[in-house]
Amino acid sequence: MFERLGLQQWCDNVDSNEFSSVSDLMAKLGKAEVNQNFWDLPQPSLDTLNKACSAIPRSRDFTAGVEQAFLNIKDPLKVVLDPLTQPLSWAIDGTLYALVAVPWWIVVLGLMLFAHFVARSIRVTLLVFSIFMFLTIIDHYEAAIQTLAIVLVCGFISVLLGIPLGIAMSRYDRLQRTMLPFLDLLQTLPTFVYLIPLIFMFSVTESKLYGIAIIGYAIVPVIRLTDLGIRLVDKDVLEAADAFGMPAGQKLFGVEIPLAMPTIMAGINQTIMMALAMVVIASLVSAPGLGELVLQGISRLELGVGLVAGLGIVLLAIMIDRVSKAALKRINKVKSE
Amino acid sequence: MISPHLKIAPIKISVKSLYKVFGPSPKAMLPHIEASMSKDDLLKQHQHVLGLNDINVDMQEGKITVIMGLSGSGKSTLIRHLNRLIEPTSGQVLLDGINVTTLSKDGLQKLRQNNMSMVFQNFALLPHRTVLENAAIAKLVRGEQHKKAVQSAQVWLERVGLSGYENRYPSQLSGGMQQRVGIARALCAETDVMLLDEAFSALDPIIRTDMQSLLAELQRELKKTIVFITHDLDEALRLADHLVILQDGKIVQQGDPQKIVLKPADSYIDNFVRDINRARVLRVRSVMLESQDKKVWDGEVNADVSLETVISKADGNVDHNYKVVSNGVLVGSIDMRMIFRALVPTRSHISKNEPKNIS
Repeated sequence: MFERLGLQQWCDNVDSNEFSSVSDLMAKLGKAEVNQNFWDLPQPSLDTLNKACSAIPRSRDFTAGVEQAFLNIKDPLKVVLDPLTQPLSWAIDGTLYALVAVPWWIVVLGLMLFAHFVARSIRVTLLVFSIFMFLTIIDHYEAAIQTLAIVLVCGFISVLLGIPLGIAMSRYDRLQRTMLPFLDLLQTLPTFVYLIPLIFMFSVTESKLYGIAIIGYAIVPVIRLTDLGIRLVDKDVLEAADAFGMPAGQKLFGVEIPLAMPTIMAGINQTIMMALAMVVIASLVSAPGLGELVLQGISRLELGVGLVAGLGIVLLAIMIDRVSKAALKRINKVKSE
Repeated sequence: MISPHLKIAPIKISVKSLYKVFGPSPKAMLPHIEASMSKDDLLKQHQHVLGLNDINVDMQEGKITVIMGLSGSGKSTLIRHLNRLIEPTSGQVLLDGINVTTLSKDGLQKLRQNNMSMVFQNFALLPHRTVLENAAIAKLVRGEQHKKAVQSAQVWLERVGLSGYENRYPSQLSGGMQQRVGIARALCAETDVMLLDEAFSALDPIIRTDMQSLLAELQRELKKTIVFITHDLDEALRLADHLVILQDGKIVQQGDPQKIVLKPADSYIDNFVRDINRARVLRVRSVMLESQDKKVWDGEVNADVSLETVISKADGNVDHNYKVVSNGVLVGSIDMRMIFRALVPTRSHISKNEPKNIS
């Protein structure tokens, strides 16, 4: 009886306008309390609590609230983000268009030249050639080149944004402390969840929609490893640079970045691989390429199409990994020679 | 005890009542230190570490000042105050009368570029640059022409015996060679002042001796103002014109190294100097009798040679008597008895004086 009285008071305070329903619900609650044994303790979920006291919102009100909150900030956010991210759409669309429009043999030759330039290894160049020839022969050339184009554009933008951010984080402990939980969030958020707010924000036909999702997911390792690499630069060497009166800019570009380069390169490798992983997921929001074929395989139960496209992705992954690892190895070698 | 031939040079660097306290609020600790609270008590009661305690040193131009102490005595902290790699808590460091501790950021950068160069215990060379570029770094930082900087670096590398290694990377060289690059780098800066922070401590004993000879030889020619940090007394005595001994951030004794060996100020230094080879360390000028009386001499020795040289010259004779000359001028005399007396460690020296004072 005391308990009942106490609870009634509380509910009245919160919900003083709805006398009739409160007394009704209180009776229910009171009954439940009386009959309760330890085993049947109700879950303290919003829905259960709402039954007892309508002042408490239901779970669907909660999700609706989140949605409403998002929709409320959507329009002002879109005004800022839309023009800001428009170049991303242009970059992706432009690259996609260019790589598909240019004859296949020029593209393959160009990729081989690029691979040779960064990796300086005949074996890696031959690997690039054979993988592309294989994909061409099984008629997956266009999808593969689309996937590669998206990965390269998004990877490049990630590196372009991620390295300065990583450098800034290594400079300011405070920035690092604020950024780390955010980076953890980006890394642990299930990849599908990325897409949800973006679908609301932009139209599904815009390529920046998946571009942002890919960059958001892939940018984390390059930021982290740039920060780490610069923080791990030998303190003695930095002290020597200071002792000879080296200005901050020279120290950054002449000492810190070169010495952190192996770690930064490892970050770039990770970023590109993660971009490739995300581009498959992004096919859900109309990203073209091999991911689209995989999706087709799932949705239409076309086993062969899905598996072959999957194989294509694996081959692309091997190719990108080998090229960037060979580049990394070359940089390390120059340094330790 | 300063011999007449040791002229007093103008003072290049002057450290005046320098204090350094490590901790969250170092300034607040100064009154405690002035009230002569010990290092241990300061740590226990206020959680602050006393790094340097009232340091006063004058470093003469063109001389080697050696700062010696065990690890934790604050010697590396002290040398880093000279070019302000560490900010002092209070006190002054004057270089040619300019107060280093109040310089602006730019002023400090200019000072480090133009007036002081440094050699580090762990070499601290840039691993991604060649030996040649490393040696030229000071001039490159100053913005001098690349070609000229590299040319001068080439000259200094030759001077430290590294010609032929210009295009190697530091990791391809041995420790001794890396430190030669470190020295060439400091020399190539062509600054008046060179700071050497335990420069030879990481090297093997034989290479260390080589490097000491190299430094002594370079110094004879270049006459730089050198501040040298070491924990090795033999090294200190070999190089020092002026020796400063630190203990727990405080100077316990400073002056002519010969004098410190002959008259250690307290038992701490006494412990230090007891195990050294006195015959090799002590010079004739420190133990000779200063008189111009003409006597019968068995030979002539230079005032700057070690006692060991005289003993070997005596060739087993215990009653020889030598004329001591400096720059061809008679400055005093020394006999074997004086030498043997000086060879017996300090305690005998103290006890020799004390009974006399009592009686």
